[in-house]
Amino acid sequence: MSAWGFYVATLLIYFAVDLLSGIALNLQFGYAGVVNFGYIVFQAVGAYVAAVVTLGPSLGAGSYQQYILGAHLPFPLDLLAATAAGALLSLLVGLFSLRRMRRDYQAAVLLIVSLIALQVVSADVPLFNGSNGLTGVGWPLGQLFGVTATQSPWLYTVWSLVVVAVVFVGVSWLSRSPWGRSLRAMRDNQGAASAMGLNITSLRLQVFVIGGAIAGLSGGLLVEYIGAWSPGAWGYAETFVIFTAIFVGGVGNYRGVVLGVLLVPVIFLEIPRFLPAIGYPGLTASLEWVVIGLAWMLCIFFRPRGILPERRLHVTPPGALEPGALQPEAAPR
Amino acid sequence: MSAAGQGQNLTFATDREGTSAKPENQGQPVLVAKDVVVDYGGVHAVNRVSLSVAAGEVLGIIGPNGAGKSSFLAALGGQVRRASGTISLDGHEVSGLLPHQRARLGLARTFQTTSEFSRMTVFENLVTAAEGDTGSSLKAVVLHPRRTAQREQELVSHAWEVLERFEMTQVANLYGGELSGGQRRLVEIMRCLMRRPKVLLLDEPMVGVAPHLTGKLISDLRGISRDGLAIVVVEHAMEVVRKLCDRVMVMAFGEVIASGTFEEVAQDATVQSAYLS
Repeated sequence: MSAWGFYVATLLIYFAVDLLSGIALNLQFGYAGVVNFGYIVFQAVGAYVAAVVTLGPSLGAGSYQQYILGAHLPFPLDLLAATAAGALLSLLVGLFSLRRMRRDYQAAVLLIVSLIALQVVSADVPLFNGSNGLTGVGWPLGQLFGVTATQSPWLYTVWSLVVVAVVFVGVSWLSRSPWGRSLRAMRDNQGAASAMGLNITSLRLQVFVIGGAIAGLSGGLLVEYIGAWSPGAWGYAETFVIFTAIFVGGVGNYRGVVLGVLLVPVIFLEIPRFLPAIGYPGLTASLEWVVIGLAWMLCIFFRPRGILPERRLHVTPPGALEPGALQPEAAPR
Repeated sequence: MSAAGQGQNLTFATDREGTSAKPENQGQPVLVAKDVVVDYGGVHAVNRVSLSVAAGEVLGIIGPNGAGKSSFLAALGGQVRRASGTISLDGHEVSGLLPHQRARLGLARTFQTTSEFSRMTVFENLVTAAEGDTGSSLKAVVLHPRRTAQREQELVSHAWEVLERFEMTQVANLYGGELSGGQRRLVEIMRCLMRRPKVLLLDEPMVGVAPHLTGKLISDLRGISRDGLAIVVVEHAMEVVRKLCDRVMVMAFGEVIASGTFEEVAQDATVQSAYLS
C-alpha cells in the first residue's frame, strides 16, 4: 500500500472514532443538555480495557509493561468489554456528578474528574503502566482472518465505518423517539420537564451511560488500530475538539455532527501538516489549539446553532395527517 | 388512548353555569395541605399555611407581592422543600416526593416565569407533556416500539384537539421560544391539560394573555374544573379571580389572613388594609 493510501485510511479510521465521540457528545449535550467535559475519560477507559483484554496476562513488575485484568479475549468480547467499561465508569461517575446539581456545576465536576483520572492513571503504574502506557495491542477481529490492523488499514477502515454506521442509525432512532423528545424537554427547561413527570436524574444518568458506552467503544476501536495507548493520548483538551466539531456542524443534528467532525478534527487539524513550518518547533501544533478555541467562539457568536441546525419538527393539521406524521422536516427559521 | 381511559373526561364547557353531569369525585378533597412552612435562610416565606381543594373547585390565592403565594405553590408542586407541614394528593401523602413523582400522581403546574420548552415546537411541547413518564421511557421505546407508536398517534389527535380549543393551531410548528408571552402561557396551560391532571396549579396564568382570550380561558378553566379537576390559581388580576374562583385565600407576609368567597374577602377589613385598599 502506498503512503497516501495508508494516510487516507488512517484518516478515515480517525474520522470514524471521532464521529462516535461526536454522536455520544451530541446525544448528551445536544439533546439532553448534559455538558460532559470529562468525555475523554470514558473513551480512555474503553481503550485501556480493550488493550488489556487483548494483550494477555501481565508479566508483572519488572517487565516492560504491567497492567491489571490481562486476558486474551476473542472478538467481539474485546469491544464488548471496552463498551461495558465505558458504561460502568459513566454509571459510577454519573451517580455522584449528575444528581440534583446545576448544569454548570456538573460540567465543572466532570472536568475535574477528567484531570484527576489523568493524574491517577499516570502515577499508578501497576494499573495501566503509568505514563508509558500500553503497547503491542492487537486486533482480535483481524486475527480471525490472519491479518493485523496496520497490514490491512482498508479492512480496518471498513470495519470502523460499519461500527459507526450502526451506532449512528441506532442513536438517531433513539433521539427521534419519545425518549429523545424527553431529553430535549429536559435540556430546554428542567423544572418544567420535572413538573411534567419526567425523572430528570434518571434521564441524565441514562444518557450519560449510553454516551459512556459509545465512548468506551470508540476507545476500543482506536486502540486496536494504533496498537498503543497512554495518558498523552487523552488529555482533557481532546474533549473540546469534539465539542468544537459539534458546535461547528450543528448542535442537536447528527448530520451536522458528521460535517463538524469532518471539518474540525479531520480536515482542520490535518491542514497544518501540508503548510510550511513556522516559528520554533511545536508552534504550529500549539496554534492549532488556538484556532480550535477561536472556531468555537466564532460559532457561538455568529452561528450558535452551527452550520446544520437542529431540525424542526413540522406537523400538518388533522385530515392531512398521515401515520408517522411526527417526522422532522427542514423548515426555514 | 381515550380520555375515559385516563379516568377523566376533558371537555371544554364555555358556560359558567353549565349543566354537564358532575363526576363522582366532585366535592371530594383532592389536594390537602396542613401547616406548610417554607424557609429561605431562616425567613418564613410561608408560615403554617393550610388549604383543602375539592375536585371541581377553583381556589384563588391572592395577596401583595412577597406574600409567599408562589413559594406556597412551589411547595405544593415539590419545587421547593417545605420545612414542615404535610401535603396530600388524592389521599397520597406527597410531602416528601419529588416534583416528577407528584406529577405522576396527577399534579400539573405552570410557573410564574414562562417555562415552555423553547427549542421544541408548540406541538412537541404538548405531546411531550402528555407522554410524561410512561410512553417516553427508554424501556417502552426499545421494548415496545409498536405500542409506543400507537400511543403517539393517539396523543397527536389529542394535541390537535387541545390546540384547536385554544385557537393555537396556527402556531403548532413554531418553537416555544418564538411565541409571545401570552402564547407561552397558553402553551403551559395546554401542556398541563394534555396530562389530564387531578390538580392544576396555575401561577399567574393570565399575564400577557390577549384580552379576547382571557374570557375564553376563564370559561374553559371553569368547564374543566366542573369535570372534576381541582384548580389552585395565583393571580393578581382581581377581575379574573372574581370570575374564575369559587373560593379565595388571601396571603400576606407568608400567612393566610382571610379566606372565603371573593365578595367575602373583599369586605374583610384585614384584607382591605393589607392588600385591596
